[in-house]
Amino acid sequence: MNTGKVVQIIGAVIDVEFARDAVPKVYDALTVSETQLTLEVQQQLGDGIVRTIALGSSEGLARGMEVVNTTQPISIPVGEATLGRIMDVLGNPIDEKGEIPTELKQPIHRAAPTFEDQVGGNELLETGIKVIDLMCPFARGGKVGLFGGAGVGKTVTMLELIRNIAIEHSGLSVFAGVGERTREGNDFYYEMIDAGVIDKISLVFGQMNEPPGNRLRVALSGLTLAEQFRDEGRDVLLFVDNIYRYTLAGVEVSALLGRMPSAVGYQPNLAEDMGILQERITTTKSGSITSVQAIYVPADDLTDPSPATTFAHLDSTVTLSRAITDLGIYPAVDPLDSTSRQLDPNIVGQEHYSVARQAQQVLQRYQELKDIIAILGMDELSEEDKALVFRARKMQQFFSQPMFVASQFTGRDGEYVSRADTVRSFKAILDGDVDDLPEQAFSMVGNIDSAREKAKSMEETTT
Amino acid sequence: MAAGREIKKKIGSIENIRKVTSAMQMVAASKMRRTQERMRQTRPYAQKIRAIIGHLAQGHPEYSNQFMNEPDSVDNIGYVVVSTDKGQCGGLNANLFRVLLKEMQEQREQSVDSQLALIGNKAATFFSSVGGNVVAAVHNIGELPELKELIGSIKIVLDQFVQGAVQRVNVVTNTFVNSMTQRPVIRQLLPLTKTDDLTSEYWDYIYEPEANVLIDGLIQRYIESQIYQAVIENVACEQSARMIAMKNATDNADNMIDELNLLYNNVRQASITQEIAEIVGGAAAT
Repeated sequence: MNTGKVVQIIGAVIDVEFARDAVPKVYDALTVSETQLTLEVQQQLGDGIVRTIALGSSEGLARGMEVVNTTQPISIPVGEATLGRIMDVLGNPIDEKGEIPTELKQPIHRAAPTFEDQVGGNELLETGIKVIDLMCPFARGGKVGLFGGAGVGKTVTMLELIRNIAIEHSGLSVFAGVGERTREGNDFYYEMIDAGVIDKISLVFGQMNEPPGNRLRVALSGLTLAEQFRDEGRDVLLFVDNIYRYTLAGVEVSALLGRMPSAVGYQPNLAEDMGILQERITTTKSGSITSVQAIYVPADDLTDPSPATTFAHLDSTVTLSRAITDLGIYPAVDPLDSTSRQLDPNIVGQEHYSVARQAQQVLQRYQELKDIIAILGMDELSEEDKALVFRARKMQQFFSQPMFVASQFTGRDGEYVSRADTVRSFKAILDGDVDDLPEQAFSMVGNIDSAREKAKSMEETTT
Repeated sequence: MAAGREIKKKIGSIENIRKVTSAMQMVAASKMRRTQERMRQTRPYAQKIRAIIGHLAQGHPEYSNQFMNEPDSVDNIGYVVVSTDKGQCGGLNANLFRVLLKEMQEQREQSVDSQLALIGNKAATFFSSVGGNVVAAVHNIGELPELKELIGSIKIVLDQFVQGAVQRVNVVTNTFVNSMTQRPVIRQLLPLTKTDDLTSEYWDYIYEPEANVLIDGLIQRYIESQIYQAVIENVACEQSARMIAMKNATDNADNMIDELNLLYNNVRQASITQEIAEIVGGAAAT
């Protein structure tokens, strides 16, 4: 009764014909009997034909093959049994540790929590990264986006955040690898084992070599895991690397599904696609999800439709900029482009707020003076502007920080700087307390005291 | 293409700056010749009077006035600082002030205070922001300074020297090495210093008429000539420094325009390619 036949195959998009009185619903999972390939219904075309996307390779598929309707959406194992395990988009374990021993399964498609279920919290979440804590502080239960072009350090910054938050954080974490490198997933897995927190983390991977169907749905699989923990009343951290690949997978199947491409070739329902995913990542009355999402910015253009539609969903945006990586400053967070809803005197406190705003003003002014300096040289600036430029340059260097996860690249151990320390240090620079220290002393150090120490040791080596 | 328009606008503003700097470069180049000429004309007089004063200080004239006596101890130094009126002359003033601040710092460590007589607008603005004990200032000296405009402020320092409030007076100015190089120097004006020329034996002059009249007048002329020469030389330095600085600025602006043009072309081509891709994609999909 619930069987149909493959009638058309275009890459990852497959049309299946069913009896007219047994047409599968949208989002139902179908299984090709011969290859055990899972298909997900996207559209009902009429005459009993449904258009589906393949969650797996569609090679070897032929017209006329038998397809069975499971009559329910894709469901994956959830709950505590998934901790320490790695799954693919369908919930199959891929860590070669056998079946996931749980009966508890949840469909990956669900409605977003309603308005009345949602709560907003303003409790701050310290990250230990100076520039982030100062300029775009995170909220517990908030949503954070990590924007950046190719190779500016999104994944490394994300791993550092995971190290600082997830390891210090006593709760559970979910990591969804969406269309990124398998190598990074592997590194991450072993890193978590080394840190001894693997039994608190569930991992879902659909990496870049997998078909678009997998990459399109794996974000939802990860999200379903997080939602289950949340609904059990826990505080969960959800890490997604990389949201852009979700959009990209949508683009790959969109035209094949018969949709007309829209601006810059994106799917016409880009905003909806993004909304379906993002609206589910929320904190409810039962528990919280704090999410950190890496978002690739194509061609370093933040106005590109994909990052632009993502912006509005987030509480904090951390923008990584190429201009700053060119200066060799890591993490390359752009202090003028990164913002947070939490940067409010009522939440972070008056001192933090004014230091952050002052720092932005100084950097903004430096930006304006840069052209003058480039043409006429430093000597033409007034004394106040000169002092300001030197402070801005020091601050710029001071935004760099040795990271724990990058210690094999920098040869330096990471440093965790508390928020109070961060505010105090930047205040010292802005107030001119450290005008006498050379600029290099501020590069790759923790707080202002280690900058002073570095200046002292630099002086000793030169004399 | 929004980025493209922004880049175009930036190119436009840099082109305007370039026009100004290149005009200033040419103006400075023509003024440079005249000011150098003037500097050369007064130089022999200033050098000769300096040499005579050197001999005088070395010798034992029957009369000596207060400008000639080496003080027992120094706890206050007067500086006559010669700067330019206008900016846009590279590091000329900044280098001079740096040398002076360093000197003042060193003196302060030996608990010697300083008093400043400033010539030129730049010195006045600099020390009003940095702070310093300014006793006199002359503004807007122009390119053809007259001695009588300068002497007023010098008088204050001299009076203080006479009264013993300062025990030494130094002139801080730029010396002209060549069009490319100007060197900031601090030269002692008072009390009189012995001649630099060590090969010459000391000798005493024979005075006609009275030594006291002659020496008083001579020292007066000496001070005037030294200050005037310093100012004239500084003006020559200013013009050549400005010419070099503006030439660099023009070159920098040229480079920036080139880079921005390249960027603009990139952005323009990218947007064209994208539009074509979208149209073709759209046409193929229907």
